[in-house]
Amino acid sequence: MADERAPNGKDYDPQGAFREVRDNYLDAWARTMVEAVNSEAYAKATGTMLDAYLTASSPFRDALEKTMLQALHQLSMPSRADFVSMAERLTNVEMKLDDIDAKLDEVAKSMRPASPPRAHRRAARRNRKGAR
Amino acid sequence: MSEAAVVPDQFLAWAEKLTNFSKAVTTKVPIAQTPKELVWTLNKAKLYRYIPVVPAEKRHPIPLILVFALMNRPYILDLRPGHSFVEFIVKQGYDLYLLDWGSPGPEDKHLKFDDYTLDYMPRAIRKMKAIAGAEEFSMLGWCIGAILATVYAALRADDGLRNLILLTAPLDFSNKESITFARWVDERYFDVDKVLAATGNMPGEMIDYGARALKPVDNYVLNYLKLWDNLNNPQVVEAWRAMNTWVTDNVPLAGGAFRQLVVDLYRNDRLMRGEWIIRGERVDLSKIRANLLTVIAETDHITPPCQSEAVMSKVRSKDKELFRVRGGHIGIMAGSGADRVTWPHINGWLGRRSQ
Repeated sequence: MADERAPNGKDYDPQGAFREVRDNYLDAWARTMVEAVNSEAYAKATGTMLDAYLTASSPFRDALEKTMLQALHQLSMPSRADFVSMAERLTNVEMKLDDIDAKLDEVAKSMRPASPPRAHRRAARRNRKGAR
Repeated sequence: MSEAAVVPDQFLAWAEKLTNFSKAVTTKVPIAQTPKELVWTLNKAKLYRYIPVVPAEKRHPIPLILVFALMNRPYILDLRPGHSFVEFIVKQGYDLYLLDWGSPGPEDKHLKFDDYTLDYMPRAIRKMKAIAGAEEFSMLGWCIGAILATVYAALRADDGLRNLILLTAPLDFSNKESITFARWVDERYFDVDKVLAATGNMPGEMIDYGARALKPVDNYVLNYLKLWDNLNNPQVVEAWRAMNTWVTDNVPLAGGAFRQLVVDLYRNDRLMRGEWIIRGERVDLSKIRANLLTVIAETDHITPPCQSEAVMSKVRSKDKELFRVRGGHIGIMAGSGADRVTWPHINGWLGRRSQ
């Protein structure tokens, strides 16, 4: 096959023209859509749809929750609320442990021999090197 | 070559391209590979320390903590080897820590900014200072992480914060015309309590939809077209897959924090007006004295520049700089030009203030 080249010397791309039209169209579409989603009408429409979905699904959600709760109770299984309560208690225990860890760090720090701050140590080291 | 042979060849080439496209879209790549160790945890939050690669005597004495947004994974800061802010900054000799908020469960639906800034952050920072053996530290907050960092800096001004870096910080909500999110969550259209009563936390998928819907054609069409056009370029494909791995890894936002974000910030602009009360304390931005670098993405559609500018005149910091970068919300830190513009600037600014 002969090596085809465009007038500008670059390799001829048979799909180039199509791609250019496509990109121009998509750019225009993108700009239009950005304007559309930034409008009051879009905010109102999405808000209405979300609200309708939440209102319509609420009875089913409540019924499912009640059924699940009863089923778990019958099976002597912990419910989501039980797990939530347990997780909250665990976080509280973690916080207490963190408080203890902080106190231990303080004790360890107070027992360490006093040393100049790190920046001063670095400066002193640099001075020593300079003196050599 | 006969005509009959050409058609199957073209068909096979298309079939192969489709397979590669499908594989790139549906598979995840290894991310966040810079070596790190877990040094602290509380509930879902984790504090990591990146393993230093510079000898201790050559390292900056002031440690740096990264605070990312609550509703995205923080590994965007450490996306892939050779293109990672974390990797870059560790090589510059910083003692680097990352606060990963994790993914809130139903038990965390009451968590608020109050909890994050006054329970989690002070504890994580205390641990970092204890490990680093430093009394002072630097903090970099990005997006919602920048709100957390700002609130912390205002409420705990005497906690040793020397340098504060805010990236694309949504702090000023007064210009509602320029903020699309503000229009969407307007109380006339969006019932935040009804949503949270149904979901507990704000689902990651809904947040992801919101972020993508700001530029629907770019995110739902052009993004995939870019991949299709560049399937023969392994570098572009790898970068695309890494970014796609991050974008599709959604995290819910704790219900309490989401409600504050909508009601206190997007609707009532309480932070900038000095009316935001966090656990009984008023967030007074004039109490911030740390050296401040605010980085703004000029074409940011999530946090428009107008949201990050006003903080400069509110803080009491004597040393402050506003740095504008050409790019979008994520692109300025994870885009192809980030390692030439944003990262070196942050390093230069921070390095001079971390001695």
